[in-house]
Amino acid sequence: MIFVLAALVLALMWAAVTGAFTFGNLVLGGAVGVIALLLMRERIVRPTLFVKFGKAFSLAGLFLFELSRSAVTVALLVLSPDLSKRLKPAIIAFPLRVRTDAEITLLANLITLTPGTLSVDVSNDRRVLYVHALSVPDRDKLIADIAGGFEAKIMEVFE
Amino acid sequence: MSGAAFLDWAIAITLVVLSIAFVLTAIRVVIGPELGDRVLALDMLVSVGIGFIAVIAIKTGFSLYLDIAIALGLVGFLSTVAFARYILHRGRPADAGSKRVASDG
Amino acid sequence: MVDVLQYVAGIAMLLGGGFALTAAIGLIRLPDLYTRMHAASKAGAMATGLMFLSIAVVAFDGSVILRAAIGFVFVLLTTPVSAHLLARASFLTGYRPADITKPIELDAKDIE
Repeated sequence: MIFVLAALVLALMWAAVTGAFTFGNLVLGGAVGVIALLLMRERIVRPTLFVKFGKAFSLAGLFLFELSRSAVTVALLVLSPDLSKRLKPAIIAFPLRVRTDAEITLLANLITLTPGTLSVDVSNDRRVLYVHALSVPDRDKLIADIAGGFEAKIMEVFE
Repeated sequence: MSGAAFLDWAIAITLVVLSIAFVLTAIRVVIGPELGDRVLALDMLVSVGIGFIAVIAIKTGFSLYLDIAIALGLVGFLSTVAFARYILHRGRPADAGSKRVASDG
Repeated sequence: MVDVLQYVAGIAMLLGGGFALTAAIGLIRLPDLYTRMHAASKAGAMATGLMFLSIAVVAFDGSVILRAAIGFVFVLLTTPVSAHLLARASFLTGYRPADITKPIELDAKDIE
């Protein structure tokens, strides 16, 4: 069931990218989608993903807002004349509360695209995410920000 | 000023701005100092290239250019991933703690 | 109506060009690979997104808007992944962050 749904979504995406919603094109897209799904080693599609659309959209909204803020912050920092004084980079160990691969991946991607932070790597036991930050006046506040913002939202969506 | 005139003006300005960005990024590709810096700058060049293609798409009115921009984005991503694997597999230096001297590789 | 769309597209285009330029200036001015990555990934993704928005607005056609949206989503999905892989590879091969970076709570042996 989920497989069929995923193939359908892929067929629609195919039609959108090629720009022609004809019957033949949709069938072709579905065929390519099924082959791609069969070639994948693991099942990445899970029913929970389709259920919590509302919360996923709110996460996407928060994300787009943070991305614009982030780009403006970095642009202002780069253009400021006293760059070296305002720059206080650090690599910080962020203790993860989320556990599954999908959640960690999503959190790492969101962190990379938001103000002043960039995820470098996750530790071998998947309990710590190493985050590079552009200017860190207060390490604990940064950790609290991420834990209370994106991580909490992600936990709601994946619950 | 009419919309079309403003758009033409914006296209001209954006092409100049993107050219400056392209040159600055190319300077980073040349001066390095490490392979990682160059790969990052090449990744950025792809972004600027997508910008150029988008502006040309609007200038000429061919939305087919959009497909080229998407394809370039995906190819650029794959090349960066391949370069990252290459950096990793080229092996780490004997003294992993010290900063490495840039090689010509 | 067409006028308004063209104004919006032009402004998005100019903003996108501006972000691309700041990303490039960041690449030149920032001290090490990890800080440069901030400029390239954030401002770069923003620039690409604004350019796609500009095309979508000026064409104002269903399939073009959809394709522009998909292109933007692709960029958003791929940018952090490539930045992460490059940062990881560089750190593991011994590229140390600039001296002003502190604290560094990461040891190469934790992430091998």
